[in-house]
Parts: sequence; C-alpha cells; structure tokens
Amino acid sequence: MFRVLLILWVAIGVIPFPASADHSPKIQIVGSTTVLPIASRAAERFEKFEKIEKFKSSHRLRILVNAGGSGVGIHSVARGRSDIGMASREISPSERKRFEGSHLKVHTVGVDAVACVISSEVYDAGIRDLTRQEIRDIYLGKIRNWSEVGGPDRKIVVVDKERHRGTRHVFMNFIFGNPTAKTPGTILVTGSNNEEQTKIAQSDSAIGMLSYAWVNDEVRAIGIRDKKNIVKPTRETIRKGDYPIVRNLSFITAGEPNGEVKAFLEYLKSPEGQQVVEESGYIPFT
Amino acid sequence: MSSATFEKGMVFFLSILTLLVSSLLLIILATVFAKGLPALHSGFLIEASEDFGRAGGIFYQLMGTLILMTGAILISLPVALGSVIYQTQYLKSKTGKEICRQSGQVLNATPTILFGLVGYLFFGVYLETGVSWVTGSLILAVMILPTLQVSIREAIEALSDQYKETGMALGLSPWSQIKSIIVPQCYYGIITGVFLGLARAAGETAAIMFAATTFSGIRLPESFSDPVPTLQTHMLVLTQEAANPETLAQAWGAGLVLLSLVFFLTVMAWILRGRLKMEAEL
Amino acid sequence: MKNESHGVMLVFAGLNLIFLCCAGGLFFFLIFESYPILKLHGFDFWLGQDWWVGETYGALPMLYGSTLVTALACLLVLPLALAVAIFISEFLTSTSRRFVKAVLELLAGVPGIVYGLLGVSFLSLWIKDIFGLLDGNTLATAGCLLAIMILPTVLTLSEDAMRAVPAEYREIALGLGLSKWQMATGVVLPQALPGIMGAVLLGIGRAMGETIAVMLVVGSLDRIPDPWFNIFSSAQTIPSKLGREAAESIGEGTHWSALMALGLMLFIMVLLINFLGNRCLKGRSIS
Repeated sequence: MFRVLLILWVAIGVIPFPASADHSPKIQIVGSTTVLPIASRAAERFEKFEKIEKFKSSHRLRILVNAGGSGVGIHSVARGRSDIGMASREISPSERKRFEGSHLKVHTVGVDAVACVISSEVYDAGIRDLTRQEIRDIYLGKIRNWSEVGGPDRKIVVVDKERHRGTRHVFMNFIFGNPTAKTPGTILVTGSNNEEQTKIAQSDSAIGMLSYAWVNDEVRAIGIRDKKNIVKPTRETIRKGDYPIVRNLSFITAGEPNGEVKAFLEYLKSPEGQQVVEESGYIPFT
Repeated sequence: MSSATFEKGMVFFLSILTLLVSSLLLIILATVFAKGLPALHSGFLIEASEDFGRAGGIFYQLMGTLILMTGAILISLPVALGSVIYQTQYLKSKTGKEICRQSGQVLNATPTILFGLVGYLFFGVYLETGVSWVTGSLILAVMILPTLQVSIREAIEALSDQYKETGMALGLSPWSQIKSIIVPQCYYGIITGVFLGLARAAGETAAIMFAATTFSGIRLPESFSDPVPTLQTHMLVLTQEAANPETLAQAWGAGLVLLSLVFFLTVMAWILRGRLKMEAEL
Repeated sequence: MKNESHGVMLVFAGLNLIFLCCAGGLFFFLIFESYPILKLHGFDFWLGQDWWVGETYGALPMLYGSTLVTALACLLVLPLALAVAIFISEFLTSTSRRFVKAVLELLAGVPGIVYGLLGVSFLSLWIKDIFGLLDGNTLATAGCLLAIMILPTVLTLSEDAMRAVPAEYREIALGLGLSKWQMATGVVLPQALPGIMGAVLLGIGRAMGETIAVMLVVGSLDRIPDPWFNIFSSAQTIPSKLGREAAESIGEGTHWSALMALGLMLFIMVLLINFLGNRCLKGRSIS
C-alpha cells in the first residue's frame, strides 16, 4: 500500500517537471469584467496566431484571463501578481501614489460607455430618460418610487456595485462628481457586470449602472436628460463624444512590456485586435 | 382530546417532519439533476468549456478539482499520520495531549475563507508559491488535517489492547510496533480518513478561490506555479450570471458532477468504515 | 537500534509540531496582520458603521449581519432539530435510524457552492415573492439557507446526545407507567439537553464561518438595516465581506489589515462558540 502511495507521490511531483523545463510561456491577465471579453477573445485568437505563425513547436503560449474588477486588476499588476491588469477606469490618484514604484503604463485599446440601465418593465412603462439630478437623488435615497419620476408606482430597487469596480467609478464620477461617492439609497450591491445584469433583469423595478455592451432586452439603457437635450448611449453618440459617461478600456503593465506581453498588446492595437474590441460590443480606440 | 390521542398525533407529526428532512437530500439531488440535465450532453465530462463557460464541457475544471484534492491528501496524510502516531504512542503528558486536542478542534472549526486568505499569504506570498495548484493543495491539506486525524485516531484506539500487549511482550521498540502492527492494522481507518478528507476538500471553494484558480487559459497545469480551473470556482462565476438559463444549466451540470464526486467519496468511506468495524470485531 | 527509534520519534514529533504550528500559526498571522488597523483605529474599528475603502473602516455592519444571520439560522433549526432528533432516537427502528443517519451525513457533505446555487435560483426568488420584497437577497434568505446547511450537523449531534442517555432512564420511566412520548420528552430530552446545546453551538460555529453560500444571497450591503430588526433587507456578514473584497488588496495596506481584523474577530467568535459547544458535548458524555 505504501508503494502505491509512493508512486502516486512521485508521479504528482514529477509530471510537471518535463514540461516546466521547457516551460510554456504564460501571460496572466486580471481585472475588469468589462475588458474581460476583449481579453478572452483576443487571447483565443492570439494563441492560435502565435502557434501557427511563430512557434510551430510545442511552445504553446497560454494566456490566463481572470475577473475581479478594475481595482483588483490594477493592484495585482502593480504587485507583480499578474502580467497585465485590465481596467475600465483611470488609475486613481491614491492608486498612483500607492503603486509609485511599479511605474504603471496604460495601454488603451477601446472605448466604452457606462449606461444607466433600468429593468425592461420600467422602460416599457415609459421611463426613457432621467436627469443627472434625478439619478443622484435616487442613489441618495431621496427619490424612492418610480412614480416620482413619471414611472409606475413601484419602489425603486437601487443596484450599486462594489466600490473598487471601474464601472462604478466612472458612473459615480459623472453623477456625483466623485468616483467614490457614498450612496445611502442603495438596496443591493453587486460585483461583476454579469451579476449586475442578472439582478436588473430579474427585478422588475431596478436601476443600475452597466457597461453599454451588456445592455439587452431585459436591461434597457436610458438617456441622460439635460434640460431639453436627451442623449442616449449609442455607438454614434459615444464615438462622437456626445454621450457623457464614457471611459477608456485599458490594459495596464508595470513598466514597459516586453516579450510575449508586448506582442499581445501590439496585437490588441492592430486591426485584428481592434476588430475583437468591436465584436465585443465596444468602440475601437484608434 | 385525550392525552393518548395527542401523543399519537405528535408522534405522527414528528414522523412527517423526519420524512421531510430525509427527503431534503432527495430534493436537492433531484433539483441539481433536473436543472443540470440540459447541459449534460455526452461529451460534458470530457470536453473543454467554451464561450466563457456557457457551453461545452467541464473536463479541465474536473481535472483541476481532482488535482487539488490529490495534492491535498498527499501532503496531509503523512502529517496526519505522523502527528496521531506521536500523540498516541509517544506523547505522555496530559497537557501535551490537551494542547493537541484543542489544536485539532481549532483547525476543524476555522472558517475556510480564513484558510484561504492566511494560506495564500503564507504559502503564496511569503513562500512564493504564488497562485497555483500547489498553494491550493497546501491550503486544503491544512484544512483536512483534522478530518484525517479523527479517522486515524479512531482506528488506532480501536485496536485491541491485545496487540499492544503482544508487541510489548515481544520486546519490540515503539517504532517496530508502529511499523509492523499499528499501521497495517489501521489500514482501513487510514483509508477511511483519506476518503472523508477527499470529500471535504472536493467541495471547498472559499479556501482556494484566491489562491489556486483561474477561470480560463489553463488546461492542465504544466508546472508547479500554474493555477487550475476548478468545478467550484467555475460554478461560482456562472452563478453570477443567473439570468441566462444556458449558463445556469452549465453551473447546475458542474454542480451535479461535483455532488456526485463528493457522495461517491463519502459512500466509499462508509464501506471502508464498515470493513474497519469488521476487522476490529475479529 | 536505540538511535533509529529515537530518530523515528523525532520524525513523528516533528510532524506533530507541523500540525500544531498550523493551528497556532493561523491565529498569530491574523493577529499580526490586524495589528496595523487596530493600532490606527482602536475601538472605533469595531463600533464604526461606515466602511469606505481608503477613508474609514467600521466593522459594525458586518458583525451585526453575521450575528443576525446566525441567530436566524439557529432559531429556524432548533425546533426542527429537536423534533426530528426525538423521533429518530426514540421512535425509529434501528435500521431506519441508520438509514436516516446516513442521509444526514450525505447532506452534511453537500458543498457550499451547491447551496449557493440553490439559494440564488430558488430561495432568493421564493422569499422575494412570498414577502413581496424588492429583492430576494436579504438577511432572511441567508439565514434560511444557513439553517438548511447546518440542519444535518445539528440534527445528527442532537440525536447522538439523546441516544447517549443511559437505557436505565428509559426503563425506569416506562416502568413508572409513562407513555413513550412522556418518556421521550419528559425524561430523555432534559437529560440530553447539554448535548443538544453543544450540537446547536457547533452548528452556529459552522453557520458563522460559511462564505460562499452567504456571499451569493445576503446582498452585500455594508449597512445595518433600518430598522435594525428588518431581516428583509440586504446586509453583510464577515465571511461574505472577505469573499467579496479580499482580492482587491491581498497582502498589504490598511484595507487588508482591516479585512484581517474582521477575520480575526470571526476566528475568535467561532473558536469560542466551538469551545463551548465541545464542552457541552463532553460534559454529559456517557459512553
């Protein structure tokens, strides 16, 4: 019996060795769930591209993509726990200070809009736009019922995001002028774009903030009203800069990238890479 | 109403409650199965996942879970065995034994998220094993230590004194006794502990989600520093997309596989425990 | 010969030491990592109600959530566990009893993430519909889910406690003309009470430490509900907070220290409860 265990032991210890001697290179990418679809799709295509064009050998480049949010992305690349951090917002001043020694470099690959979204039932009932002040009051808890803004008589389910999320920073910056604003009116806190989308779709009276690419039939984007002007988030308004809540989608490295990481970033900025950005529902940067 | 009728009524009521509680298991199983069915196609267990986990299979996730479990057992078993042997054969002082007992309870009761966080800090950051399957196995190994210890201790204590007396009468040193009497006789107890430990490690999510896993990009780990995808974290990510029924079905499918794994290991442990009792009665 | 034996003993002692270090090490690490924030804020950390990363850290909402959710689970589990334990222990045949115990052991092994899935897909929506809430992610949901999770453990230990009451008690009671029901509830149950207390405490310990299932259904809102007893509002527990935020600042910084301090609090609470629970179980142990 001991012999069986011993063999198992040796096997587990030895099996990684042959491969690690000739270790396949890998790129670790962590961060924003908004940027994640771009990274994942690009990773898939780049891996194939690498294999066919460049190496034609057992060297298979592996690109690991993980979620966590913009804050986690920035933190992990600054601390060397990942090669690239994905962020859907700017690096905050406090982060710049904290990670001074890491010399963070930002590589922007696309542009995205943050939409103020509501449950489709509320949208169908007539709410198509809100003013910045109204949104602010909803998140402050001053406006509690959809009827106060011309909607059905239903309590508003105010959905917020985890504080470090890029989408929240950008949204709050526009609504409150402060990326880390406090929102006493919040009923629920979600994490990734997926989770928020789910929650708003499941509810029939929710309001939230979501990357424009995640808008669908159940989760509708509303326009921002400013006196008589209503700006809805569409590819045109985003591209032209009319829609006010936009942000850069970036890949962040600690210092200048080189080797595989550099090649991957160049791929993202190339026409093929930009096509991936567009396919994921965002606006290409170039 | 006479008190006899009242009592009969109460007993009946209790029996219904018991039936409900027992059928809870069946309900959970049936639900997981029913919800997971749409995702279970013939290749589910052997295909890789596609489209952010919304389609395809869960092969690499299953492999990841199995790798973590196996690593955990291989690391934990010697420590568990060694420590229990020391405590039962060599340790004489009462305070010593008490400290050991309390330590075991501490490890058993600790919330698993703390294992994950402190474990990552200690193994992953300070010992620089990073976010990898090795870190995960180390953390799980610490976590299942008490589980293994309990079974091993049970087996050693069940050993009839006859064995000990025979060993001493033959003039054997403690080590010889351990080598030739205790360990071979406790074989079933040890293996029972192993299966229970595996079952516990298999389902654990909080302990490994920061320290060992990745959602995409890795198939099988190729070195000691690679993270792995696992069934548990796969399910966690998919659960957050609960509005999409296909994604959810994938999560349920993975859940069914995980549940089956845990149940299989537990049942195996029972069978072995039965053998242990049989042997002890001989 | 003697040297070999001695060497072997050292190996075993060493392995035992590793085991002891794991237990102690956890504790010391938590203390070490929490030190910065506790030095910075002191008592305010525990009483503060606001948790804004980068500004102020207040643990009260998390402590409150953890306590409430656990209390809720306990309340729901206790009557059910008692009732079913009485039935299994006193009214069930040996074979049926083994069957039910086996079922309970399997239930106890169901992974937390499966419960999480069940909670998100069913419990959340049911509670939302039944109580007409805005959203189903509430303290009540987490409490219910935890109750189901700890039920098998509490039940099986309670039942053990009842079985442990010596046969004489039952014989005497029946001999005195008491009915089975009266014997079970009037004689056996009171004797088994310490053991049952122990079972409940251990269940509480487990409920307090559960991360994944709670994280998915409790709402993750760092706020004490208004009014404080409103279990139908979203809130936050310590493990859920750790699960959601730890990735952001693992390893260093005030934020991490604050999270570790939460972890330390959780650790101490769970250990205390467990210690008491085990004490109760041992107290009346009659083999």
